[in-house]
Amino acid sequence: MRKRNVGSAAAAIAVIAVAALSGCGSGEEDKVTEVEILQYKPEAAAYFDQVESAFNASHNDIRLTISSPNDASTIMRTRFIREDYPDIIGIGGDINYSYYVDAGILADMSDYEGLADISQSYVDILDALEIVPTDGTYGIPYAANAAGILYNQDLFEEHGWEIPETWTELLDLCGEIQADGIQPFYFGFRDVWTCLAPWNALAVGLTPSDTCQRVNAGETTFAQEYRETAEKCMKLLEYGPEDPFAYGYNDACTAFANGQSAMYPIGSYAVPQILSVNPDMNINSFVMPANENPEDNTLNSGVDLLFAVTEKCGNKEAAYEVISFLLEDENLQEYISAQNAISCKKGDFQLAPELEGMQTFIEAGKMADFQDHYYPSEMAADALIQTFLINKDVDGFLNDFDRRWQRYNRDIIRKVQEYNEEHGTDE
Amino acid sequence: MKKMNDSKRTYMLITIPILAMFVCFNTIPLIRGVIYSFTNFKGFGSYDFIGFRNYIDLFTDPRIGGSYLFTVKLAIVATILTNVISLILALGLNSKIRAKTFLRGAYFVPNVLGALVVGYIFQYFFTYILPEIGSALGIEALQGSMLSDSGTAWIAIVIVCAWQSIAMNTIIYISGLQTVPEDVYEAGGLDGATGWKKFRYLTFPLIIPFFSINMVLCVKNFLMVFDQIMAMTKGGPEQSTESISYLIYNNGLSGGSFGYQSANAVVFFIVIVAISVAQMTISSKKEEQL
Repeated sequence: MRKRNVGSAAAAIAVIAVAALSGCGSGEEDKVTEVEILQYKPEAAAYFDQVESAFNASHNDIRLTISSPNDASTIMRTRFIREDYPDIIGIGGDINYSYYVDAGILADMSDYEGLADISQSYVDILDALEIVPTDGTYGIPYAANAAGILYNQDLFEEHGWEIPETWTELLDLCGEIQADGIQPFYFGFRDVWTCLAPWNALAVGLTPSDTCQRVNAGETTFAQEYRETAEKCMKLLEYGPEDPFAYGYNDACTAFANGQSAMYPIGSYAVPQILSVNPDMNINSFVMPANENPEDNTLNSGVDLLFAVTEKCGNKEAAYEVISFLLEDENLQEYISAQNAISCKKGDFQLAPELEGMQTFIEAGKMADFQDHYYPSEMAADALIQTFLINKDVDGFLNDFDRRWQRYNRDIIRKVQEYNEEHGTDE
Repeated sequence: MKKMNDSKRTYMLITIPILAMFVCFNTIPLIRGVIYSFTNFKGFGSYDFIGFRNYIDLFTDPRIGGSYLFTVKLAIVATILTNVISLILALGLNSKIRAKTFLRGAYFVPNVLGALVVGYIFQYFFTYILPEIGSALGIEALQGSMLSDSGTAWIAIVIVCAWQSIAMNTIIYISGLQTVPEDVYEAGGLDGATGWKKFRYLTFPLIIPFFSINMVLCVKNFLMVFDQIMAMTKGGPEQSTESISYLIYNNGLSGGSFGYQSANAVVFFIVIVAISVAQMTISSKKEEQL
């Protein structure tokens, strides 16, 4: 009985034991520097294997190892507990990044030359994620993703539907699609995280991008900020499958790929999966038209993969060299083509055809980060949104959101308010 | 005298390494877990001791309350269901029927399959096949997916948990039934014990030890339900199927509440020990020896 109770601890020990056997990164022997990258996107493992061998073939003084395990964030944490740090970690620009910066795990990379080539809007997005503002830069944005609405281009052309630019146009379009006997949207809300896709896409257009920071500073509440987002998110349900909570992400991708719906509100990361079901499909995308004025619409885009050197890394120069190699134009291009991502580096990169509809926003830098990147995962905001979409109680949901936010962010809020008292608000 | 010491030493040699491993991999993590439960540790980085704040929070957190309610409800219903069905199956499989060995093997298959695999198969079954059958037969209650309605999702989980654990319980009951000697039935038959009476007054009292093992195993396993949740609902819909283990894993390891969920694990540990001790005491009083 006792054995299973500490099951999680035992699992952690098992992981640690494996990590210990594989040895830690920065040992020096025969002047060959070992650099280890632990990155969190298992779907890109093939790309990273290839980069690893290309790098090792062209470098004699550095030996690179890249691991791309499943559930890397858990593995990362168990290694951090044991203070066994990889030299470089590849993570997303979300609240984990905030935590790691706050915990002093990541090294300041302001002295990295390649930083000048990175698009400023993505550097700013990472800066905004810091719990209390710092002077340093702790991550190099590599690739970004974008979320909006994916649509079936062939169906749109066949029926002559037009891309909507305002909320009313979107609803009209949905009505038109329904009149043609096709279902406008598909949802896979059994997998709770997919509830965040339309939510984020609407929230960036309808609320200021610093909403979460302002709530932490005690200047506003979610009940004030999120009402319109919540109501519009609920409205979309009318155009989806009869019971959207019966299906998961895979089901929704498959259904959209098979033409069972004209649109699917999800991020660009879903494209490879959809194409794996139907390789001949022509997918395109547009920015969620959350507002009545097209000028107010904002593309929902965040840092999907960043590389950060850990504080304990033995040889920072070598780590920088590895990152520069990863950032070389042809390597980056290969990554963004394979993952349907957006480059965080300035330059003329070929954007995936599926993201064509978002191009003007990307070029104009009219983007805002996913708001859920500020939500602590243990708060389960996605499950809260799912609950709300099932029982449709806007007031109850907004109050619940505020209440849970205060509970799970207690330590962060205290830190932010202490900082603001010391430095005065607004920096 | 010397011989005693020798055997004692052998026992010690066997016991000490095991004890050392037990302490190393079980007791020490347990103690560290208790220590972390008094901190705001996120799983990495620095942390502060915060006294009993985590424990106080536990009792005011509706999500923790919900997870206990769900888990206990599931454990009770699934334990009853499993034991009733597996006892009936065992009685059937122990009687003189054809293809007995084959049937026993067939009924044992669910136990061989991994819980995750079973979970994924049933997820497909509940999402697509069952609603299809429901509409074909015109039964309205079955036309939606059971997993998407918070009123029925827990029943689906009970069904899967029971389906899988019935196999092992049946085997335990069959071995129990085989310990009942034939002459007891012969003597009982002379006194007029047949059918239900035979089961109630002869068979059941004699297999009580097996019954109590099954009860303890079932309750313990179902209280720690995890794989099925992971495969089928991930705690949804409306967070109605978040079991305690799932919450501890999800928020403690993937989320940043390591300290808080350690406190939850400590409380859960105490609850399980208390339930198991209570079960053992009650059922050991009822055992009968021939």
